[in-house]
Amino acid sequence: MSLVKKNHASSGNADHRHLPRDRAGLLRQLQDASPDIRRWAALDLAAFPDTAEALCARLEQETGLPVREALLTTLIKIGGNAVVKGLMPLLRSEDATLRNEVIEALQQLPEAVSPYMETMLRDPDPDYRIFSINVLANLRHPQAPAWLQAVIERDADINVCASAVDVLAEVGGPETVPVLTGLPGRFDNDPFMQFCVQATIRRIQGHDA
Amino acid sequence: MNPSEPTPAISAEEFRKFRDFFYRKTGIHFEDTKRYFVDKRLIERIQATDSDNFRNYFVMLRFQASGEELQALINLMTVNETYFFREEYQFRCLVNSILPEIAQRKGRDEPIRIWSVPSSSGEEPYSLAIYLLEHWPRVDEYDIELVASDIDTSILEKARQGCYDKRAVSHLPEPLLRKYFSALPNVQYQISDDLRHSVEFTQVNITDLSQMRGYRDFDVVFCRNLLIYFDDTSRRVAAEALFNALRPGGFICLGHSESMSRITPLFKVRKFPEAIVYQKPR
Repeated sequence: MSLVKKNHASSGNADHRHLPRDRAGLLRQLQDASPDIRRWAALDLAAFPDTAEALCARLEQETGLPVREALLTTLIKIGGNAVVKGLMPLLRSEDATLRNEVIEALQQLPEAVSPYMETMLRDPDPDYRIFSINVLANLRHPQAPAWLQAVIERDADINVCASAVDVLAEVGGPETVPVLTGLPGRFDNDPFMQFCVQATIRRIQGHDA
Repeated sequence: MNPSEPTPAISAEEFRKFRDFFYRKTGIHFEDTKRYFVDKRLIERIQATDSDNFRNYFVMLRFQASGEELQALINLMTVNETYFFREEYQFRCLVNSILPEIAQRKGRDEPIRIWSVPSSSGEEPYSLAIYLLEHWPRVDEYDIELVASDIDTSILEKARQGCYDKRAVSHLPEPLLRKYFSALPNVQYQISDDLRHSVEFTQVNITDLSQMRGYRDFDVVFCRNLLIYFDDTSRRVAAEALFNALRPGGFICLGHSESMSRITPLFKVRKFPEAIVYQKPR
């Protein structure tokens, strides 16, 4: 025994997938009782970008962690408007894990998310606006600071503004400082907001290493 | 290209265009800070292929049916700096903690499969072979299959030949150098035929799901200092591919600056005395 050399494919089971890999077959397998079959269906559906809606629908009800991860990987690979449109409603889910997964997925789709960001930040539900700000926290998009600045200029909800201020501490520049300075006045100089704004301005100006 | 002609320059827009293309093909993303590194190699290939400028070269690169030029460029763009017994604490972890756990649930007739990716010029898989032979007391009780893969075909050829300079072997204890290598002229060392024949070298792009279909049922994967070259999306795809490649309960060792937890929750963190590694749930 000891070290032996074998062909890599033949010594392991090359592929466990024996079911049809066409679009219709994969969509059926996405609902299969076996998590392994659902996971492979989710991964292989990356070849069919028009299945984004079905993948998002499955994500909403899927409980198996590896299957959820496969669904998210495929959705991020597919990208584009259909994926963003399918993921956006899931930010309203009561399931915090799902919401966080969706936030992380949207963060990886900056170009596709950008046309929707303005609408997301004007949603009537303040929680939804906060989750949209969470998306902005790690969105590689040059407009992120401007979107956040607009939020603190207009949003009437103190928690939404505080979330935006928090993210601006990371992504904001000196141009944000005048807008930040005026913010506590919109909330009767609320002490919590004053504290948030001062801390953020210190970080932007580099006084708080 | 005539040697008297000026060296072609790569504009910022051309750099971005190339970067996007290369990323789509390989999953490897170059930050702006890598501009000099990328430009230098692009210019080298533009000249080597007698292309007049970036535009002509890029058209050829994109549409060449054989893909030969793309492979040549991948070979140039990937970093292959490594040496024997690099980050040795992980090999200690393998023989002291990981393999004993794997052996506990293995029948004697079942092989233990170990995969080194990216294997570069072979230092890592050969280090694994030496470490197993020297430090795992149960090495003779099992068939151990060592597979080593890289995206770079020229470096794989070098790995198969197994010839190294003094720097590559400088961390090896002298008795092991004498035992497993033969000295060649010009201070070169060639690894023994027995070891060269014990490792299967293959070419693979781990972000390509179709290429990865043949890679299954590994007990341990060493995937060190590869994911740092990928962007978030490619890291996710690679993590899924590594998950697929492992047996339930199998382990993955990353480079010391890498963390699987930052990429995906698919794996469990295992803290062994020698190292932190990641495990596919059983």
